[in-house]
Amino acid sequence: MEGKRGTWDKIKTYLMFAGPTTFIFFTVVILPFLFGIYLTFTNWDGVSEEYSFVGFQNYASVFSDPKFWSSFLLTLKYVLFIVIFINVIAFFLAYLLTSGVKGQNFFRAGFFLPNLIGGIILGFIWQFMFSNVLVYMGKTLGIKALSTSWLSNPNEAFWALVIVTVWQYSGYMMVIYISGFMNIPKDILEAASIDGASGFVKLKNIILPLMVPSFIICVFLSLQRGFMVYDLNISLTGGGPYKSTQMISMHVYEKAFLSQQYGVGQSEAFVLFIMVAIVTLLQVYFSKKLEVEA
Amino acid sequence: MKDDSKKEGNNVKISLLNSKGEIQAQLEESAKVFTEDTGIELEIIPCPAGQSPFEKASSMYASGNAPALLMIDTGDIIKFKDKLLDLSDEEWVDDAMEGALDDYKMDDGRMVGFPFAVEGFSFIYNKQVLDKAVGGEFDPSSIKTRNDLEDLFKKIEESGVAPLVISPMDWSLAGHFLPISYITQSTDPDVMEKTAQALKEGTLDLKKNPQFNGLMETFDLMKEYNIDKEDPLSGTYDRGPELLGSGEVGIWFMGNWAWPQIAEFDTAEEQYGFIPVPISDNPDDYGNSQIPVAVTKPLVLDKEQNSEEQQEAAKKFLEWLGYEDNGQDALVNNMHIIPGFKNVTLEPQDPLAKSIKNYMDEGKTLRAPTILPPDHWSQVGASMQKYLSDEIDRAGLAKEIESYWKTVE
Repeated sequence: MEGKRGTWDKIKTYLMFAGPTTFIFFTVVILPFLFGIYLTFTNWDGVSEEYSFVGFQNYASVFSDPKFWSSFLLTLKYVLFIVIFINVIAFFLAYLLTSGVKGQNFFRAGFFLPNLIGGIILGFIWQFMFSNVLVYMGKTLGIKALSTSWLSNPNEAFWALVIVTVWQYSGYMMVIYISGFMNIPKDILEAASIDGASGFVKLKNIILPLMVPSFIICVFLSLQRGFMVYDLNISLTGGGPYKSTQMISMHVYEKAFLSQQYGVGQSEAFVLFIMVAIVTLLQVYFSKKLEVEA
Repeated sequence: MKDDSKKEGNNVKISLLNSKGEIQAQLEESAKVFTEDTGIELEIIPCPAGQSPFEKASSMYASGNAPALLMIDTGDIIKFKDKLLDLSDEEWVDDAMEGALDDYKMDDGRMVGFPFAVEGFSFIYNKQVLDKAVGGEFDPSSIKTRNDLEDLFKKIEESGVAPLVISPMDWSLAGHFLPISYITQSTDPDVMEKTAQALKEGTLDLKKNPQFNGLMETFDLMKEYNIDKEDPLSGTYDRGPELLGSGEVGIWFMGNWAWPQIAEFDTAEEQYGFIPVPISDNPDDYGNSQIPVAVTKPLVLDKEQNSEEQQEAAKKFLEWLGYEDNGQDALVNNMHIIPGFKNVTLEPQDPLAKSIKNYMDEGKTLRAPTILPPDHWSQVGASMQKYLSDEIDRAGLAKEIESYWKTVE
């Protein structure tokens, strides 16, 4: 009796505090997700009222769609670069801005600012920068690398995307690293100084190991944002020139809504979900092992 | 304030999805006039740049918020057919131009589209620049072959102006330019359907096709005289009307929908017109003296998510456009549309529409393709951009186009 009552009480407490959120999560995330998986087995085009089951045919076309895989590889390359650059830059910004530089609050706010601008607007601002401002500068100053628009060359357009993404997220990750730095116990650092540890040794042996939780969060966030990039992609390069910078999310969207093959698009989205889930879970699993106690 | 009491209760509100972004402001103005005339409130919803009307319309349907009137592309009608209202008993059906409604007839006998606009595309020229280049009055009918075109380009260049600008948007290159090679395959009225069929089956070898090769040779010529030759993919749509209107180039490949933008920069006293895109050196070849023209952007009515009252109001808007003085005025003089109706006697005021009307009166038109596969402009457009920037050669382009068509269902 008592056991049952305890369970009921627990459920009541749970419902009281988390009920509404659970309900919303279920209706706007879980249900659409399951319905989406259901749609991957149909040939729905996005509007029509009739559609039929096609089994695993959509998944077969995912694996035979060369553009899906080339977009995926491109996205991997993009994710690799942005994860490295964002985290290295954010870490050193945080390191500098916790070391007592003059006006460090002002700089913190300044570096965080790009993150307050939405991806679409940011893309349009930088599009103007790359195709007008930089070209104008390149032409008047005679710098050849800048005299044609970066966005009209596949390779340069890719780097344009990386640069803007790094610029956008470094400040955000910096804030997380700053809080990591603040949480390192001062007494340990002081003890290390008394023992004669230099700045670099302190960084390597004390700061980095204690900052692992911040790294886990930041790498996870930048991984996930990198894989899911869409807004910046569409507004900065539009996937161009000639679809050479089309990231995976944009490809999936175009498949579903522009090519009007909703089933195939949805299957591609699901395959993407599985791969991103695997990558991020592995990352969290392995980096958890690096955590240490102070 | 003063009219609130009178209209309260019977104020019908409808909306229209507009996929012609260039006339958004004009449509909004016309909607106000329509409201004054009829008391029906009409809201114009723009289709965002870069999004196809199909994407916007399907997301509006999915959210249960479909507009009463949708301006979509002809090829999309079939996808929405279950949701569209039958218009075959409307008065304007008998006044539509011949053949204008053919694409809007469904298998079940319904006719669902209102032919909103007649549009055409080809080389637009700035007459002032060309007059100066040829030293006298420029005659558009003097350009019948690729050689004529090259001579013209040379003359423009000698007069100190860049001959032309190629706007590198995928929708222009693959939605308008490349299809010229599809529709010049024969003089058969069903040429587009037959070419599409042959491409899907892989029986049309583009590498050996005279029309495709001819058109691409013309394109090579254009590339050579392009003002943006150094960085051919950097241009945007807005650059075209600015260069042409201000007389910095003599020629721009685009359609009559660009008039409002050209007019903003106009320095040539509104003297513009179309020249055909020649695809060979034989003046008698089909396509060398014709320009592609078609009825585009049909208005269709929703019957699922709008009340009967709203459907009636939407029908009223179509009648207003077709028969009321204010409606015709809005269509022709404000939005610069060439109406798809015989009964509208208002003459188009803008030079591009006039030029198209001339070609139509002389029977020198090609049937511009209105039913290309939905992602043709985007996928093949990327291939055209590669060719434009010398990323691939003509054989590579032919291969990419052919392999695209094989994926079309």
